[in-house]
Amino acid sequence: MLKLDKNSVPGTFVIITGFCLVCSVLVSSAVVVLDPFKAEAVANDRKVNILRVSGFEEQGKIADVYAKHIDARLIKVASGEFADQGLSKEEVDGYNFASLAKQPKTSEAIPSDQDVAGLRNRSTLMPVYFSHGDDGKVQRVILPFYGQALWSTAYGYMAVAPDGNSIQGITFYSHGETPGLGGEIDNPRWQALWVGKRFTDEQGAYKVRITKNPSQKDFDVDSLSGATLTSRGVDNAVHYWFGNAYRPFLDKLRKGEFDLDAAAKGESK
Amino acid sequence: MSENVKSPTWKEALLDPIIANNPIMIQILGICSSLAVTSSMSTAFVMGIAVCCVCSIANTAVSITRNYIPGSVRIIAQMTIIASLVILVDQVLKAFAYDLSKQLSVYVGLIITNCIVMGRTEGFALKYPPVPSFFDGLGNGLGYMLVLCLVATIREVFGSGTWFGMTIMPTVNNGGWYVPCGMMVMPPCAFFLIGCLIWLVKTFRKDLQEKPEYETHQEDF
Repeated sequence: MLKLDKNSVPGTFVIITGFCLVCSVLVSSAVVVLDPFKAEAVANDRKVNILRVSGFEEQGKIADVYAKHIDARLIKVASGEFADQGLSKEEVDGYNFASLAKQPKTSEAIPSDQDVAGLRNRSTLMPVYFSHGDDGKVQRVILPFYGQALWSTAYGYMAVAPDGNSIQGITFYSHGETPGLGGEIDNPRWQALWVGKRFTDEQGAYKVRITKNPSQKDFDVDSLSGATLTSRGVDNAVHYWFGNAYRPFLDKLRKGEFDLDAAAKGESK
Repeated sequence: MSENVKSPTWKEALLDPIIANNPIMIQILGICSSLAVTSSMSTAFVMGIAVCCVCSIANTAVSITRNYIPGSVRIIAQMTIIASLVILVDQVLKAFAYDLSKQLSVYVGLIITNCIVMGRTEGFALKYPPVPSFFDGLGNGLGYMLVLCLVATIREVFGSGTWFGMTIMPTVNNGGWYVPCGMMVMPPCAFFLIGCLIWLVKTFRKDLQEKPEYETHQEDF
């Protein structure tokens, strides 16, 4: 066999190439092998979070409870119409709006006068989750929302009553706020403050807000102490999504323009 | 290579870095990540385990290949091994501990730049055989984990009233009596705590105090 001096130039190249080959094979095979587990973990995490605001206890296997009680649809945000023809159930369910918002083909620019949450772009389509009881009657409509908080983008789900106006639950599934301060947006006691609040008053003006001194029982949520900027970020995110972006869809709900139970099953357009 | 250099036994290699040559308290390495991940016990613990794995396996791998690594590119060769291992750990966490990997976010990836790992492969594994190298890596990982867990315990208990997420002192926000110390959840607090730990260790272990390298000039007033 050819004797190779490891400190010569060709020797260095040969050895380093060998190193890189071994390492890259190791890394890429690990990624490929673990990919199904990762996808499973991400899907499971989403299901747990949706179930948390759906009003159904997480009894038994999450995937089973989810499959039984939750239906996903896609809506065109600008018009509030359903837009999931030709997509499989899984594609709709795991619709990755956060990464699609970055691609020009699947996203829309947000007009700057509406962009209170500082997002600039959002996905053209957004998933909507309907939670229904055993009788098939839709109890909550769950909408994803997100916005810039203090340190990070906070992602969450909001559960809205079928009237399209009352909040029935809020949760955050990803954020990087300071634990104990802004991280208190995860606190169930704070999240419970949202329940029963309404987005708009009778005249249709957007009213819900996070404020230091809640005075209006139907619209004011107490802000988090020590986390003014996080509170403001969440307030802006809710304002953008539920005061602007989802307005067409929520208006349809409010006016009762479509049969909700059929819509959840994918029977209406 | 210098095989005639006397290698430390596996026991020395394992136990030495836990207190006497602790990577954080004595070698003052890996401070950055220890400020960032110690606000809760679960993240600190997982980070400690991740560093243990990366450090011991990287040390072993470098030690096995130490006679083949060309001197001129040895840092790059070590980096390649460490980076591959960190990606592996990150992928495993994402697949099997998704919640924790979300909390740790970029810090798992930043183990690559953690000076402890690089410091041990360069300072130890390049010289000694695989077995002591493995234990040296493990020992340094454990030393790192020990400090992380100490700091995280203090920060989580006083900052959030919990330990590993279990309630120790119910906080006001949850209807209890404890007003959390906001300072504790901020990264600078970890800096002070690590400072205090170093002070404590060096007070009780006089042999670990360094001699001053030079005398400062004393003015006559």
